Amino acid sequence: MDLSPVIDGFGVVLEPTNLLYCLIGVVIGMLIGVLPGLGPAATIAILLPVTFGIEPVTAIIMLAGIFYGAQYGGTITSVLLRLPGEASSVVTVFDGHELARQGKAGTALGIAAIGSFVGGTVSIIALSLLAPLVAGFALDFGPPEYTALALLGILLVSTVSSGHRIKALVAASVGLLLATVGRDGFTSAERFTFDNLSLADGIDFVPIAMGLFGLGEILYNLEERHRATQAPAKVANAWPSRKDLRQSSGAIGRGSLIGFVLGILPGGGAVLSSLAAYALEKRRAKDPSRFGKGAVEGVAAPETANNAAATSSFIPLLTLGIPANATMAVIFGALLIQGVSPGPQLVSQEPELFWGVVNSMYIGNILLLIMSIPLVGLFVRILRVRATVLAPITVLITLIGVYTVNNDVFDIVLVIVFGAIGYLMKKLGFDPGPLVLAFVLGSLLEDSLRRSLLIFDGDATGFFTRPISGTLLAAFVLVAVLPLVRRALRRREEEHVDSSA
Amino acid sequence: MKTNVARLAVAGAGLALALTGCGSNLGGGSGDGSGFPGGDPVTIYVGQDPGGSTDLIARALADTVSDDLGVAVTVENKPGANGALAAKELAGKEPNGHTLMVYNGSLAYITPLAVPADEALDIADYEIVTGISQDDYVLVSAPSSGLKTVEDLKKAGKAIKYGTTGVGTGSQLSQALLFAQTGIEATAVPFDGGSPTLTAVLGGQVDVGAIQLGEAVEQIEAGELTPIVTFAEKRPSYLPDTPTAVEEGYDVPVQQSRAVFAPKGTPKEVLDTLRGSFQKAFGTDAYKKFNEDNQLTPNEVDGTELRGQWTDSLDNYKSVVEEHGIDLGAGQ
Repeated sequence: MDLSPVIDGFGVVLEPTNLLYCLIGVVIGMLIGVLPGLGPAATIAILLPVTFGIEPVTAIIMLAGIFYGAQYGGTITSVLLRLPGEASSVVTVFDGHELARQGKAGTALGIAAIGSFVGGTVSIIALSLLAPLVAGFALDFGPPEYTALALLGILLVSTVSSGHRIKALVAASVGLLLATVGRDGFTSAERFTFDNLSLADGIDFVPIAMGLFGLGEILYNLEERHRATQAPAKVANAWPSRKDLRQSSGAIGRGSLIGFVLGILPGGGAVLSSLAAYALEKRRAKDPSRFGKGAVEGVAAPETANNAAATSSFIPLLTLGIPANATMAVIFGALLIQGVSPGPQLVSQEPELFWGVVNSMYIGNILLLIMSIPLVGLFVRILRVRATVLAPITVLITLIGVYTVNNDVFDIVLVIVFGAIGYLMKKLGFDPGPLVLAFVLGSLLEDSLRRSLLIFDGDATGFFTRPISGTLLAAFVLVAVLPLVRRALRRREEEHVDSSA
Repeated sequence: MKTNVARLAVAGAGLALALTGCGSNLGGGSGDGSGFPGGDPVTIYVGQDPGGSTDLIARALADTVSDDLGVAVTVENKPGANGALAAKELAGKEPNGHTLMVYNGSLAYITPLAVPADEALDIADYEIVTGISQDDYVLVSAPSSGLKTVEDLKKAGKAIKYGTTGVGTGSQLSQALLFAQTGIEATAVPFDGGSPTLTAVLGGQVDVGAIQLGEAVEQIEAGELTPIVTFAEKRPSYLPDTPTAVEEGYDVPVQQSRAVFAPKGTPKEVLDTLRGSFQKAFGTDAYKKFNEDNQLTPNEVDGTELRGQWTDSLDNYKSVVEEHGIDLGAGQ
């Protein structure tokens, strides 16, 4: 492996501008991690317009920082206030808050910070090793391969993600439908444009993301009455004892692995991996009853796993151009707007961008490790800012932001429309994630499919005879059929149990 | 730096200089342009995203024009519908010289062949300040394909798959014409811009593709792409050893051309002042180097001549497309 681009990547990160934006990113990330409700996808969507004025690598360094920074931040409120700032820190509440009540809040936060750092670092190293391998196939990725990949991505995201499966598929279908709006790139026929030239190129990704994730989430949160925040427990002795470290080292190791693997899988990500890591530790423990009563492993495992997953979810995006979760979809959009199309060619065509972003994660994790403990007090104070103050400001930033993208008032209208849709979706139990993902991948899927058929002279068997697209399609069938098979098996098992009983 | 809205320095000292370009008509009231620019800023629309060739050209010119006019010159990107969105907006602006646009030739003489008649834009609805430059298309193949000349394509013994940078682009028109005239059976596969087309040729997904010279020159020099023909009228100085399609006996010069447009009814004096400023910008060493770096051929003609060029192109393409029964809209 040629290491020089990796080292050049460090050169990129260490430029003062990039360091600054990395710092800004992780601080914003921690901040929104602390604030319940506003997640990384929403924040990144709202901040998209800010990134247009800066270099692509700097922009993505900042956005990535927000994402993994949020995983650190979410822990703080889970531990201190029993109020998970992020969905991925929900399980941390069980043991983390218990530790805080025993006066060991510092231990919990310290272990979480160390675990997050280890998990993140393990994932970055694996990312560095794996990405160039995938990139070796870059030129073999033609339209048929992208067709299969987009199909697989949409299916995985809608079926593996948490939440109701049918609702996720419905949301994904709506996303696909929205992707068809605009002048057809093959025949220049107008589709769903209603003679509006602003729609000729289709609906822009930015207003959709900012509306569904940003505005929709703000509106939804307004409904929830915020509990008065109690004064947090005093945070003393932030550094965990040697005994704590020894006790949690196994959990950190296993958490890194689980997080890394689940993060790569589309739809997996930070939430799923934190749950899985916690469950594993509880099952492995000699004395499972300790869990929920302040077990250090119960904090170490999920916090390590969610950070490892946050990092490894960059792998499918940066190597295949397939966003694995909602946040990655927004970063995908940010890259496209910067004129960078993520895919197998990225490592070779934009080594500075690729390695700059990857290596910035080392720096970002170190920054987070240093900052997370001293800043706890500040973050807790921010929690007291009322939603009535925060929400209007965020809405204003969102609307101004979307206007600056194309200097087009039409985009503001779109954000408001999609904000309303996003609010209704959340209210009715639909996750907007699959919609946005399917929308992002929809035009890739359609264009690649039609391009492939032109190349194959209309013969669809070509998809199956090419090795890469054939394999991907086999995986697609597997993922589609597996849950059905599993359900059938379970039913038979139950019948078996019933009859034997 | 890519800034969506680049605010450029205002150089007040250039004001007196700019006014000398207004000619002798000093007596008129408002509306004849004698006071142009009068301290108000000028906005140049670009119908493409920041970072593309059109955007880069606008930004390369804006600085010097700003110095010369003595007012701020702002480049504003209004991407959409291949530039038609920005052009429609320009048409509705006050014709006072304060709103201009870098207009792509393809929008004037190729897009009308691909979109429904009521959507096509007519350059008669605009004033033309000056021509800027031309961009040549080159037909390339991957070396592993063994396709080096038009003869090779004829003898390939199969339907050629050709990559285009999109529907209604010069890339599509040039190849469609070449293959129609040579009687080569071929299918167009449209991609989204130059870079994906290039990748598809490199990866062997399509047999050939036509790409703007500036986007392919690096790979051609590195031997990763074989240039077959250019679609220029004469060999571009940057690619002296590659024949043009015209030399090969096919009548298909197709180029991307760019010009500065103003809303219809902009006073002649204002147009002249603006043209003077743009010509100053054309003359700077920095701009000449910019053209060389991007393989652009200067075409700094006046408005009348440019209108003639583009109208001829449209008429020409209309008749050959009809003659060969090519339907750009259907993508085949």
